[in-house]
Amino acid sequence: MTSQYNFKKIVIVPTAKDFIDIVLSKTQRKTPTVVHKQYKISRIRQFYMRKVKFSQQTFHDKLSTILTDFPKLDDIHPFYADLMNVLYDKDHYKLALGQINIALHLIDNVSKDYVRLLKYGDSLYRCKQLKKAALGRMATIMKRQAQSLQYLEQVRQHLSRLPSIDPNTRTLLICGFPNVGKSSFINKITRADVEVQPYAFTTKSLFVGHTDHRYLRWQVVDTPGILDHPLENRNTIEMQAIAALAHLRAAILYVMDISEQCGHTIEQQVALFESIKPLFANKPLLVVLNKTDVIRLEELKPEQKTLIQGFINDDIPVMEMSTLSEEGVMAVKTEACERLLAHRIEVKIKSKKVEGILNRLHVAVPKPRDGVVRPAFVPENVIKQRLTKEAKPKKKTERDLEVELEDDYSLDLKKNYDLPADFKYDVIPEFWEGKNIADYIDPDIMAKLEELEREEELRIESGVYDKEEEEMDDEEKEIHRLAGKIREKKAIIAIESRIGRSGGAPVMPRAGRKRERSVSRLRSEFEELGVDMSNKSGAHFSRTKSRSASRPPIKKARADSTGRVSSSSRVTPRDQSGIRNVELKAKAKKMGHKAQGKMNQFGKAGEADRHIAVKMPRHLYSGKRGIGKTDRR
Amino acid sequence: MPQNEHIELFQKRYGFRMDYQERQRKKKAREHKLQSKMAQKLIGIKGKIFAKKRYTEKVQLKRTIKAHEEKKTRKKDEGKVPEGAMPAYLLDRENTSQAKLLSSMVKQKRKEKAGKWDVPLPKVRAQSEAEVFRVLKTGKSRRKGWKRLVTKVCFVGEGFTRKPPKYERFVRPMALRFKKAHVTHPELKATFCLPIVGVKKNPSSPMYTSLGVITKGTIIEVNVSELGLVTQGGKVVWGKYAQVTNNPENDGCINAILLV
Repeated sequence: MTSQYNFKKIVIVPTAKDFIDIVLSKTQRKTPTVVHKQYKISRIRQFYMRKVKFSQQTFHDKLSTILTDFPKLDDIHPFYADLMNVLYDKDHYKLALGQINIALHLIDNVSKDYVRLLKYGDSLYRCKQLKKAALGRMATIMKRQAQSLQYLEQVRQHLSRLPSIDPNTRTLLICGFPNVGKSSFINKITRADVEVQPYAFTTKSLFVGHTDHRYLRWQVVDTPGILDHPLENRNTIEMQAIAALAHLRAAILYVMDISEQCGHTIEQQVALFESIKPLFANKPLLVVLNKTDVIRLEELKPEQKTLIQGFINDDIPVMEMSTLSEEGVMAVKTEACERLLAHRIEVKIKSKKVEGILNRLHVAVPKPRDGVVRPAFVPENVIKQRLTKEAKPKKKTERDLEVELEDDYSLDLKKNYDLPADFKYDVIPEFWEGKNIADYIDPDIMAKLEELEREEELRIESGVYDKEEEEMDDEEKEIHRLAGKIREKKAIIAIESRIGRSGGAPVMPRAGRKRERSVSRLRSEFEELGVDMSNKSGAHFSRTKSRSASRPPIKKARADSTGRVSSSSRVTPRDQSGIRNVELKAKAKKMGHKAQGKMNQFGKAGEADRHIAVKMPRHLYSGKRGIGKTDRR
Repeated sequence: MPQNEHIELFQKRYGFRMDYQERQRKKKAREHKLQSKMAQKLIGIKGKIFAKKRYTEKVQLKRTIKAHEEKKTRKKDEGKVPEGAMPAYLLDRENTSQAKLLSSMVKQKRKEKAGKWDVPLPKVRAQSEAEVFRVLKTGKSRRKGWKRLVTKVCFVGEGFTRKPPKYERFVRPMALRFKKAHVTHPELKATFCLPIVGVKKNPSSPMYTSLGVITKGTIIEVNVSELGLVTQGGKVVWGKYAQVTNNPENDGCINAILLV
């Protein structure tokens, strides 16, 4: 039910002019905009009927959200209903909403009539005029609602700023004359920052703050001051306080100013109490005497004391406090909370729901084993020690120092450094010889350095770093020698290629160059290196077929055994390069022909032919432009 | 939680930013630039609406400037002669004032009479049958075209029942039947929504009159008991003639001027 106490979600109510603008521009954007004389009459009619219906729907939707968002005074808690009546006048509020409702129905009727008329429109001009008349009528209806809309917008703004008071939870309600110290009290016990000023009626509406007691959250409601005159003469501000007093089931704290600094005597304050006494029925009541730092209860005159005594005689607890010196404030709060808690428990016990709660509550007490009483035990020595313990000397904090020195105080963070005084206040550089000093900061760095040096010396002595002569056999030696040679050759090649990369000289393409990678070249190079190339049995290279010089230079059509002419290249033709098996090849060829046949017969496009799947992709051919016409796409 | 006038309270306690006034001033100074940018950039329907609004604003501005300027300049007060003031040598003559002229004119017209109705719209465009009626094809094969559908607004009296559909020649659709008219009183300049009693005369054709077709210029009789007019004899006037001033089929309503 929190929605009933949070009025911040009401939709913004635009002014009449803005409302019309919004709806009409929405109609223009969301419905088709182009229609021509030569279209079919049914199409023209549909076009204009759509516009009329769309406007009606938009008006209807917006007005009905307003009607549903605003709270109905009969559906919310009577406290809020009463508060809204005080602030906004129930009749005016209901009338405004009623007018909006009427406008809603009128717009619906207009749309119905004109859609009916549009069915008989026989030319574009006539349909257009009818649509213009319909929209104009709707706009005029909205123009007449300007006052209601303005009022509702103001109500909405004020409603959204009302404090969210939960009428059903534990609440403390503070009331009394203006200027007695109600707002100061709430500022002291909660975090609410209510304005406190010396003039009367500083607080002009209800304020709420929250406080804790016994691990529960308590609402504290501060009211504007009430003056002592009959109900009819009360103004709006006082009526809010009265509404809160009447409808909230809370503990009442009636605050009185015994120093009479508020401008009203104790007699007057007691008289006010008597006049609003009926509102305190069935509520735990507490009379609080404020401003006791000025004058105490004992120092009062006897007549005034008897008045206060009257309260005590009526079983109404009276407490003293001073919000200025903060004495008694917490005591008042605690007392009020306790009383309210007791009252609420009492009420709950009397209600029917208590059975369900009590059934579930069970305080388990351990069964006594025997009759021996075992109280708490503290050894005597400890008790003695506690009594004789002297108070620990309070350490002098910086704050104390600051208070002491006032203007001369300056925060010196380096004064507690654990360094000798000469270089305590020195400035530490950040870099030294290209290195970060922070990387080398280590308190034990000198000790660590010495240790490392010692270890190093020991190592050198023991001979960890002496080089060893490796014993290699012949093969390894040979491999080493060859590897060295290879490395040398590689380096030379790299250097040569770098030198040889002369820019600008045209380079033959790789295919055009004469065969570089031949077996003979390979052989010669490796012989150079000293590798034995005579043994061919384990070799992984083979001589490629060379073109003999005896080949005739002129190209001639070479016929093979079947009499067919084949090109002089030795590459296998495509139809033979796939499947080698002759039978399968024939079959595959036949299948290929068959598949083509149908397409060829009907002249259809095949898989290889260019094909556009979507001739008119929607994203290119539809949609309105943000601005401008859609003649060209 | 922020409650009631927390914004104003904050402003009261802590004031504004140090550059608040400066920023406000500068923002205001830049407003004309925004206006001109909008005026240049907005096109289409939004541009037209903006231009119209701007035009009215400019007109007002110019008027106020002119008014201020007039206050500043001091013009020689040419001795203005009040209206109706006469030079001394004409004082003793009896002048015929405008009012007298008018009444004599009216008297003359009354003498003429001769069945001339003095109506606000003397000449109206005649409506041809093709405009007023549309052919309604009937019959099993939709060949018969003797029925006509009335395309203009019409009035049928109370207690009107159609002829049996087989025999009705002129179809007057319910959507086009109107019972009320918005009648303007020419002197009071006030408009009332009065029920129609009947169609007196349609200037295009007597057939239209009999059918009850209402077009521009038609004389209709309206029930004016709402206005509470009383004759010299003390009798209450409840019916008066009015002439239709708009095209009802285009506007969806009948606007008429009362003939007093």
